[in-house]
Amino acid sequence: MQALHVRKAPKRALLAILSLAFAAACSEDGGARPKDAGIDASGPPDASCFENPQTHAEIINACTTAQKVLKKPNLPLLQSGGALPPLPP
Amino acid sequence: MRTLAISILAAGAIAAALPRAAHAVPCDQVPGLANPVYLQVGDTQLALMKRLARALRDSAPRPVSLVFTTSGSCTNIRTIYDRTAIPATTNVQYAPSIAENPSWDPATSPTLTCQVPAGGKVPDVANSALFTSACTTETPPATVRHVQGPVQAYVMAVPKASSQTAITFEEAYFAFGFGMAGMAAPWVDESQLFIRTVTKSTLLAWAANISVPADKWKGIRRDGSSMVVADLESSTSPEKALGILGAEVYDSKRSTLKSLAFQARGQYAAYWPDSTPTAFDKQNVRDGHYTVWSPTIWMDTEAGGAPVNADARYVVDMIAGRSVTPAPAFDMIAIIAAVGLTPDCAMGVKRSFEGGPLSRYQPAESCVCKYESRVAQSNCATCTTTCATGVCRNGFCEVR
Repeated sequence: MQALHVRKAPKRALLAILSLAFAAACSEDGGARPKDAGIDASGPPDASCFENPQTHAEIINACTTAQKVLKKPNLPLLQSGGALPPLPP
Repeated sequence: MRTLAISILAAGAIAAALPRAAHAVPCDQVPGLANPVYLQVGDTQLALMKRLARALRDSAPRPVSLVFTTSGSCTNIRTIYDRTAIPATTNVQYAPSIAENPSWDPATSPTLTCQVPAGGKVPDVANSALFTSACTTETPPATVRHVQGPVQAYVMAVPKASSQTAITFEEAYFAFGFGMAGMAAPWVDESQLFIRTVTKSTLLAWAANISVPADKWKGIRRDGSSMVVADLESSTSPEKALGILGAEVYDSKRSTLKSLAFQARGQYAAYWPDSTPTAFDKQNVRDGHYTVWSPTIWMDTEAGGAPVNADARYVVDMIAGRSVTPAPAFDMIAIIAAVGLTPDCAMGVKRSFEGGPLSRYQPAESCVCKYESRVAQSNCATCTTTCATGVCRNGFCEVR
């Protein structure tokens, strides 16, 4: 796993590390998501990103100045741990 | 009344974009339609076909006339694998030369139409706007050559009046996999989910990216991208409306539609294909932050290792970014960039199957600087012959 891009937000970096560890330990349906929500206008990359991404998980969460949206939807059917129920027949 | 008016306007817009059939004579009797190459492509590639067809007809070093029709990617694969002829008298499209119509604009003007000559015509070139393995796992005929062309991104689009800005993998799974029962508000009305039929790359690409098989999607299945556009534009429930489109189709409809940022499985934020909702740089496609994309696949036939139609091979190699002789009298990267596609040489990530994991990628001959100069602002040094660092290519110092 690549080193995280840690700026002046050590608590956030720690949270990110814990989140990534959790995501890595989860099933394919699992995964931690940011707790905040809303549009994050383009600017410096935040702390929870990878500077030198190598794997798929790191590439999609690489540091970027691109505009992003942080979203945590309310999905009643989402199972505990973030698992997805099977599709209806 | 308002709905009726919008519907009439939408129908008018579609009609204006349709090819004109006034000159529907057999294609082999159209004056000046030299060196014809017949193509059957996905409808997401229509903008590319129009622009390239115009450029090739007037390319003095080697003029070629593209004669094309659109169909689903899976259908196109079957057509060239099975050598199925487009029936005689079928209307197909082509672009006028400058001499025929100097004011013709590939972005707004309709194509011209001719008819497939007697006996029918097996397409010289077929296109799939996604990995062929998403349609069939059979071993391709040895006579069909496959090459990867520009990258095609796909978006989820909503009406401009919608307040939505993003959709997560999980939301898409519940909205399209369960419909109303998925309770993925506000996308809970199946009559407002506008999707495509199962042979279309737009549906198959999205299906692979949200883990909902193409035949299990909920929503209204449309045969053409223009129909999805019209559905979204005329929706009377814009907050509930959601459709799938090729990014280049959406790019031409930004005045009436919005694309949603997409958050893939395991991703911490949602991103648009471009660096911002208003940019056209496909930055997030190129660096892997936006995951819903496919390489376009271009197929032509060969015998004994040689192309059956040399002009077809010339066109396919050009689209794929390969060197061709003679060099055309136009800038192929500029054409690809103008229609919302991304040349392979500008990509920084790759994948090997539809929706598969991304890995880092360095093309043998980068065109990032050149591409960015067409879609945004390039920060690369310019050059004429040499560079302090990197390689001088197309007037820019590329990294390799």
